[in-house]
Amino acid sequence: MSHTEARLDQMRGAVPPRPHNARTIAALTSNPGCVRRAILDAAGVDKPKLAAAAGFPAPFGQSRFAITRGNAFEAQVKANGCAELLRLLREQLGLPVPEVSYDDLEEVAASRSLQLRHSRTRQLLTRAAGSGTDAGTLFDHPLLALEVGGRLAYLEPDLIAFRLRGQFHVVEIKSFAAIDGQADSGKVAAAAIQSAVYVLALRQLLADVGGAGLVADEVFLICPENFSNQPMAARLDVRKELTVLRRQLSRLDFIAELVEAFPPGISFDLEADDAGVPRRPAAELADALAMLPARYMPECLASCEVCRFCRNEAQATTAALGRTVREDLGGVEYVDTALGLASGDLEPDLDTEDAAAILQTAARMRAESLGAAG
Amino acid sequence: MYRRAVASSPEALEQRIDELRAAIRHAATAGDRARARELRAQLRAAESDWDSAVAALERQSAGAAAQQVSAAPAGGPLLPVREQVHQALTLVGVAAAPRLIVAVHDAFFSGPLIAARLTSLRRDEERSFRSAPYARAYYLTAALTADLLAPARGLLAVSTWPLERRVIGPLSPRVDYLTAAIAVASSVRRLPVTSADADRLLWRFAVNIPGAQPGGRRADPETVARAACAELDVHAAQDQAHRQAAAARARAQLDDAGQLFGSRLQAAGGAMSASS
Repeated sequence: MSHTEARLDQMRGAVPPRPHNARTIAALTSNPGCVRRAILDAAGVDKPKLAAAAGFPAPFGQSRFAITRGNAFEAQVKANGCAELLRLLREQLGLPVPEVSYDDLEEVAASRSLQLRHSRTRQLLTRAAGSGTDAGTLFDHPLLALEVGGRLAYLEPDLIAFRLRGQFHVVEIKSFAAIDGQADSGKVAAAAIQSAVYVLALRQLLADVGGAGLVADEVFLICPENFSNQPMAARLDVRKELTVLRRQLSRLDFIAELVEAFPPGISFDLEADDAGVPRRPAAELADALAMLPARYMPECLASCEVCRFCRNEAQATTAALGRTVREDLGGVEYVDTALGLASGDLEPDLDTEDAAAILQTAARMRAESLGAAG
Repeated sequence: MYRRAVASSPEALEQRIDELRAAIRHAATAGDRARARELRAQLRAAESDWDSAVAALERQSAGAAAQQVSAAPAGGPLLPVREQVHQALTLVGVAAAPRLIVAVHDAFFSGPLIAARLTSLRRDEERSFRSAPYARAYYLTAALTADLLAPARGLLAVSTWPLERRVIGPLSPRVDYLTAAIAVASSVRRLPVTSADADRLLWRFAVNIPGAQPGGRRADPETVARAACAELDVHAAQDQAHRQAAAARARAQLDDAGQLFGSRLQAAGGAMSASS
């Protein structure tokens, strides 16, 4: 085990690391500058538990109803040898009628062991990449793998990767609705990045047999149409997401350098006593967290479980107001400073001259419009 | 999760029970056995509190209630679940998942069939077979995957069917779907009165088979059957070949129980050893 891995294990404490999945990998691309998140994710710390133990429980987690609804929709689309999915693929994408072959990779001989499923997935997909017609069309719950920051992450395409005109397409089934052909753009974007993670993993898997080129840049998103339960299919081009992802993943190797910057004693061990309460007091965990520099932005509230801790820390800073504000007011860290510069009470130095100018203009415009109204 | 003061109403207890169940599931998926164990103890306590609360309610309302609600529906004696499943499977004639079995049963047979009762059916039938082989006229079995002769996920079949019908090759899910469509279409045709459930079932088949799409509000059984046959012609020969090969292997490698319920994975190696 490398020195970095040893350090990360020690930071996490005596529990197995939280596994990566496509969602967490995708989330890595959304805030690459945050060291706190980079280290916590690399160490596989249980972030929801840590946030709660430090006194700032995470505001989200998927509701049980949403999960149930999602599972029910997925089950419906995949029922009976993926009858509904086949219809969509035939109607909208011209899948030829003879292509109906279905392989279930959720279990291997009634076992759900990850290693077994992964090697069976590998076996079936490389065979499909190699052979001609008798290669398989639909692969249900294939188990892919991707190396992330030195650790192997098993990824389970929420869906099926299938073969159309010699190409593999990742298929994602989501239960958010597309109304008049439009779905929530944030959710679609998230689905696109997750799918890109699967595309990357699939390409790696097939690279050994020279089949990486057979994986299409286009993924298919299946979601309910309008207000019904009927599925519809949309194509998503994920080339841009793939580029971003590849870049972020390559930068994860710098984790070793990041880890070195911190004292050996730093630990996020959440070992609990018999009542399930973590032994270490909240203040201690909060201090440990505070040692890792963070880069809070409002988007964190939707994607990272320690967000409330970081938001609390970032109170009264301009960063908490969002990316555009942070960029416009580069160099001005606190809201009080900004207000001082705007009113002219504070003198700007070289770094903050531009920001001061913007702020003073804004203050003047505000005074004018309020004065006009009053 | 801290222990709350005992909630007196069944509603509050039900909510707590749901929360505990979800928490147990999370702990179990995260591999946290100790926590799961402890939560299970809390769950048991909550469930017994609920039992007492509901018993108290019953005692309260016992004096007021005039009649007792009979457990069986008005239509007659309730068949055991395995009989109901057997009826539905015999109608479609192919291995099917609980969802389809329940839909077929609701469409063509009387009496409710609750999907939740089917989850442990395969395991119960296997236990019953192993303890007294062939004691019953039929057993509800698994369908076997053609490649590994393992129980196919989520499918039920009938022991009296030939092995070829109980193995699943890569084309078999589609072939079986089309076969079921034809069976459902002919059953709809034979119904003396139209049934909304049956029409709905036929419609769902029609929508997913090319050439069977309903023009009007109802799906036409003739059209569905013809379209299903047409597509079946495309896949049937190859599917049959897969199934016959798999059945031959199963006969050679598996014992009786294995041929009915499938073989679970043994240690790494070539030929499957008999049964699990």
